[in-house]
Amino acid sequence: MSDGLDRRRFLKVLGVTGTGAAALAGCSSEPVERLIPYLVPIEDQVPGVSTWYASTCRECPAGCGLHVRVREGRAVKVEGNPGHPINHGRLCSRAQASLQGLYNPDRIPGPMVRNASGQFEPIKWDDAIARITSQLGKVQGSRVWFLTGHETGTFAGLIQQFLAGFGSSNRIAYEPFGYEALRQATRDVFGVDALPIYDFGAARYVISFGADFLETWLSPVEQSLGFTRGHAFADGKMGRFVHVEPRLSMTGMSADEWVAPVAGSEGAVALAMAHVIVRDRLARSSGDTGVLRALLNTHAPADVAARSGVPAETIERLAREFASQGPSLAVAGGVGAQHGNAQLTAAAAHILNYVTGNVGRTVSFDAQATLPGGGYSDLRRLVQAAAGGQVEVLFVHGANPAYATPPGLGAAEAIAKVSFKVSFSRFWDETTTAADLVLPDHDPLEQWNDSQPRAGAYLLQQPVMQPVFDTRQTADVLLGVAQQAGGRAARDLTAESYQDYLKAAWRRIQGSVGDARPFDVFWMECLQQGGAWRETRRRTVSLAGSAARVADRPWTAPEGRFALLAYPSPVFSDGRGANRPWLQELPDPVTKITWSSWVEIHPDTAQRLGIAEGDLVEVTSEAGAITVPAYLYPGIRPDVVAVPLGQGHTAFGRYAKDVGANAYRLLAAEPTPFGGVGHYAAVALRNTGAHERIAKTEGNPRQMGRGIAQATVFAEAASGKIEKHEEAHAAEVPEKIQRLLDEVQQEQYRDWRTRGSYALATAHWGMAIDLSRCTGCSACVTACYAENNLPTVGKEMVRRGREMSWMRIERYFEGGHDTPLEARFLPMLCQQCGNAPCEPVCPVFAAYHTADGLNGQVYNRCVGTRYCGNNCPYKVRYFNWYDASEPGAATFAWPEPLHLLLNPDVTVRSKGVMEKCTFCVQRIRGKQHEARMRGSPLKDGEIQTACQQTCPSEAIVFGDLNDPASQVSKLAQDQRGYAVLEGLNTRPSVTYLQKIRNVVEA
Amino acid sequence: MATLTEPHAPTHVARPTYGEITRDVAATLGHPGRSYYVLLGIVLFVLACGIGALLYQIKLGLGVAGYQPPVMWAVYITDFVFWVGIAHCGTLISAILYLFRSAWRTAVYRTAEAMTVFAVMTAGLFPVVHLGRLWYAYWLFPYPNQRQLWPNFKSPLLWDVFAVSTYFTVSTLFLIVGLVPDVASIRDRAAGWRQKLYRITSLGWRGTDVQWRHYTRAYLYLAALATPLVLSVHSVVSWDFAMSIVPGWHTTIFAPYFVAGAIYSGCAMVVTLLVPLRSVFKLERYIHEEHFDNLGKVILLTGTIVGYAYFVEYFIAWYSGSSFEREAFWFRAFGSYWWATWTMIICNAFLSQLLWFPKIRRSIPSMFVISLFVNLGMWFERFVIIVVSLSHEFEPFAMDHYTPRWVDWTITAGSFAWFFMWFLLFAKNFPTVSLTEVKEIIPMPRKGAARS
Repeated sequence: MSDGLDRRRFLKVLGVTGTGAAALAGCSSEPVERLIPYLVPIEDQVPGVSTWYASTCRECPAGCGLHVRVREGRAVKVEGNPGHPINHGRLCSRAQASLQGLYNPDRIPGPMVRNASGQFEPIKWDDAIARITSQLGKVQGSRVWFLTGHETGTFAGLIQQFLAGFGSSNRIAYEPFGYEALRQATRDVFGVDALPIYDFGAARYVISFGADFLETWLSPVEQSLGFTRGHAFADGKMGRFVHVEPRLSMTGMSADEWVAPVAGSEGAVALAMAHVIVRDRLARSSGDTGVLRALLNTHAPADVAARSGVPAETIERLAREFASQGPSLAVAGGVGAQHGNAQLTAAAAHILNYVTGNVGRTVSFDAQATLPGGGYSDLRRLVQAAAGGQVEVLFVHGANPAYATPPGLGAAEAIAKVSFKVSFSRFWDETTTAADLVLPDHDPLEQWNDSQPRAGAYLLQQPVMQPVFDTRQTADVLLGVAQQAGGRAARDLTAESYQDYLKAAWRRIQGSVGDARPFDVFWMECLQQGGAWRETRRRTVSLAGSAARVADRPWTAPEGRFALLAYPSPVFSDGRGANRPWLQELPDPVTKITWSSWVEIHPDTAQRLGIAEGDLVEVTSEAGAITVPAYLYPGIRPDVVAVPLGQGHTAFGRYAKDVGANAYRLLAAEPTPFGGVGHYAAVALRNTGAHERIAKTEGNPRQMGRGIAQATVFAEAASGKIEKHEEAHAAEVPEKIQRLLDEVQQEQYRDWRTRGSYALATAHWGMAIDLSRCTGCSACVTACYAENNLPTVGKEMVRRGREMSWMRIERYFEGGHDTPLEARFLPMLCQQCGNAPCEPVCPVFAAYHTADGLNGQVYNRCVGTRYCGNNCPYKVRYFNWYDASEPGAATFAWPEPLHLLLNPDVTVRSKGVMEKCTFCVQRIRGKQHEARMRGSPLKDGEIQTACQQTCPSEAIVFGDLNDPASQVSKLAQDQRGYAVLEGLNTRPSVTYLQKIRNVVEA
Repeated sequence: MATLTEPHAPTHVARPTYGEITRDVAATLGHPGRSYYVLLGIVLFVLACGIGALLYQIKLGLGVAGYQPPVMWAVYITDFVFWVGIAHCGTLISAILYLFRSAWRTAVYRTAEAMTVFAVMTAGLFPVVHLGRLWYAYWLFPYPNQRQLWPNFKSPLLWDVFAVSTYFTVSTLFLIVGLVPDVASIRDRAAGWRQKLYRITSLGWRGTDVQWRHYTRAYLYLAALATPLVLSVHSVVSWDFAMSIVPGWHTTIFAPYFVAGAIYSGCAMVVTLLVPLRSVFKLERYIHEEHFDNLGKVILLTGTIVGYAYFVEYFIAWYSGSSFEREAFWFRAFGSYWWATWTMIICNAFLSQLLWFPKIRRSIPSMFVISLFVNLGMWFERFVIIVVSLSHEFEPFAMDHYTPRWVDWTITAGSFAWFFMWFLLFAKNFPTVSLTEVKEIIPMPRKGAARS
């Protein structure tokens, strides 16, 4: 700056020019861009460079590790922590959507108190703490209760200490999907209070009795990964999976065989299998089976066949397969089968594993049970006490009993009688709207915390950014109250802050993991890797005497009524995800319905009752009734109907309120024999005569013989002679023409490479998707929403086919009439065609071909003729029918502060523009720049697309097709590989690997 | 002209004299009566509604229309092709029939030409109306710009831009040139602002011998220039579809099929316009059954070609062996849009066959009714080709059903209003029957009786 332009002046000029540009920009139709002034730069933050923090996902109790990407001080994406012992770098949809919990526009912005007129008004934190202190000073300790969700870490201990300080021991943990049945069954069969740990990866044969282990049960991401590693076709081998459930769930859709027994008889089928194995001495049991004799004798295949509707031959065959194709694994009693006889179902699976010798091989037992026990009976105790006026102060944290309980329990009414109710919820949920004092907690991404989902795994959460709202961590509030109240509470809880309290706890954890380094070193390392873990010795178990006393109490729906399955939605779980627009818009993996509830009815039953799809059906049980549209689902027994849980909120924010119906209303409040809520009910159906168009993304569920989602059977795949769909033959272009086409393309590439920055491009990006690994879980879809700033459009627009999901999971049905029903998933995204139909038709070159093989789309240049969309045979181009990007517009997709989650590397598209998948071109370019900076070439696998990175079953592989050594090149040459609609000669860069079904030849 | 005596010359109407012709035709420029203003009022109101709907659509986005992906083109492109099709008859009647020396064209060609220009003006709106960002419509033109961006000449949409704008230019020129002598003759009768208008548009016409010589020569050249356009414009429009890979679009028959369809619908629209025009402006002496008879023959011929094309489409779909084609055509006939397809087939392929009967051709009411059905059928033809093909493409999971919404309908109605507004204004202010050419075909007045 020798010519007198010093730094100060330079910045001044820069500022003025920037303002001028902004003022000018105000006149145009484009949205105004705001610049971020970094006059005083924040240390360790470089604009444009991401910082990654390790943390733990708290969307369900599984405890997956996160890497949170933070840009300019705000979290913009979560990814799985690759070094994590639970999820190995993979995440599900709900974890991906945790950002929408953080930035949810319906979060409670600060502490609120109910005033004399019954309205909420803001209050200062200090005043709020003083109010609690004074209330606690007035009441007896036994009248103070604390209700939480599932907490396994330091926070749980803090609550105990806090309550003890005030003379109370009334801490209740309620988790709607507890594992009471499994826990009880384990106690019955093996006499231990522990939860089993299943090694799906080691199992070659898996049989599931209703367990939705790829959706919500136990640890779905970990199980998805393990299951696909054990089951998917590789090197001429594959596992086999049989699903036994009256309804074909998403998990069941990955099965090689679906067996649909009468609702409630799954356990009997398992026992009959065990009977055959013991009778015929098919396997070496894990121990003595003498005590089981009486139980097994009452479950001979012939008897069970009559009860369950499963032919005796099938049971015998399954038993022989199960015993001979080991190592095998039986899992059961998941929330998908939580009926009155669930305890037996779970016990039966234990017994089956035991008699086959799987215990100790694919099934082991944790040293302690850390997963939720459920606590429904505890909750009932609280409700009874509250109804009787025995509760004067109630703290609620992480639980929503006013919504997630059967109405017959009367939780909402009972809680209303409590004179002082404090909610720590982040959202105005059903329980919180009835509270007296609302002290919103930090989001899990804003707080210090830890959890311990299983023995030996200590997982740490750290704040990744400044809190979005004026919230305060509940633990800090409790510490504040304790210190203000004095007495025993203040003596016990002396920590300045929860962070200190947590660190103190981690000093003890350091001891238990046997780390002898200075604490600070240990602590920093834990923060970096997301926690500390060590191998724990698994408990050895043997059959307990009580196993003989396992009672079989058949659960059946009375004559003339249907058995209802109220199953947990794979996307909302128990309803806590319902206020995330990404999850609302995510099509249910099975039905492909968004933004609503539905009742699944078999087409034959529907025809008999005169019900058509979309007819509003009143479902009535003894407990209550709901009215939901009918969805005709061939994957359900004709005598069974199913409704997902998780919708039908009466509060909980704009995205959840009044969407669908709450299936808890159909469930009985009376606890089942194992102590939890029964998720089965006997219901009657009535067509109300009203009708609505279901908001589903599915067009035609049958692929009309077009070979879109191809599959073959294992015998064929193993022999190496895979028959391609006949469509593939149509692709045979005459050699002469093919040579010509190749020449033209090569010439084009040469041309591009010699010009400008394209000179460096030598890659041809491609993808391989293994359909025998895809479970349809749709995590990739949500990851794509998060990475690429896809707007959500709402129910009405989904009805009109205008969802913007660049990645969609197509679900096709095969068979179902004469042959067994088979479901196939196909992730459909832009195929990045080498000979793309979309490109030549664009009159303004908005759609163009990049030198590295991508179908580029210049949003800025697009005028919106939509010709490309018409000409795309895969229908993967999405048009902005409305303006999702205009703040203030009714169609704005990211109401403040949701817009903070937008990925700064990706343009937000305005109305009238076509958009599409670009293989995450921002990631490709980012990694290319990194490689150029460090001066070494890109390594295979270095670039990961968002869908690939999150995929819990490693179905997606991305890389350079020009590099013959890359994984994707090898997969593209796989004998199972095919391109969708190959006959059109579009030359896609995406290769699909046929699904392989391990079926038994009839 | 070739024949001064026509074999089917009407006998029930006395032959007008030159003076009567000028008087009768120029009478249309006088006070047209209340019904005219009522009609104009209705048209302007509907147009205002259409403009309102368009502004609403621009403000909120194309989402307000019924679009249901994968149907990304719908009623607007249907309207576009419909109006481009309508535009064809004008050039056919004025240029091709002129070159073939068909005398009967003289009474109707002005109407047809005006219709052409206004139909192109209407059609030209739709590619803009349907754009996602219509404020950038000018990016489709190859204009020099700082960014050195050039449109993609591979895209059929760009060909459209050139085809339609060329056609508009030539057909407008043709209309204006044809008007020159007529305007000159009414210039001398008009007063006030009209006289000024006519003075400008008559381009200093005085009717000298030299002017006439140049004029007829120019007219002939323009006719020769316009003739290939009749074939080219709709061929290019058809390539919007034929060049794509959509089953039901991607077929080689499209260009001739579209051209025949265009002439078919254009002639029908001429009939639709002539019938009320004739009675409102009392032109029965100039436009009579003879003309309808001839138009009827053209409609019959082109309608039969269109019907044949329908048959061939189905045949090829079967013969191709492609399951996509077969299923697309099966869906057309028996899928969720069967009603649209059968409306199209019945109106176009079957109703036009009634015109084999001279009685029907020469009955003005029946011609009028048939012409309305043909217009309806041809609108549905484009709807079926565009919407039904798109809703049933390659990817079964992405198939969906489109239904137009009020915005689509209002803008469509507005386009009719826009067209009729121009036509009504034209009919009021310019001679709708060619004075000079009608005079050319009546016998030269001589002393005593005419020779023949």
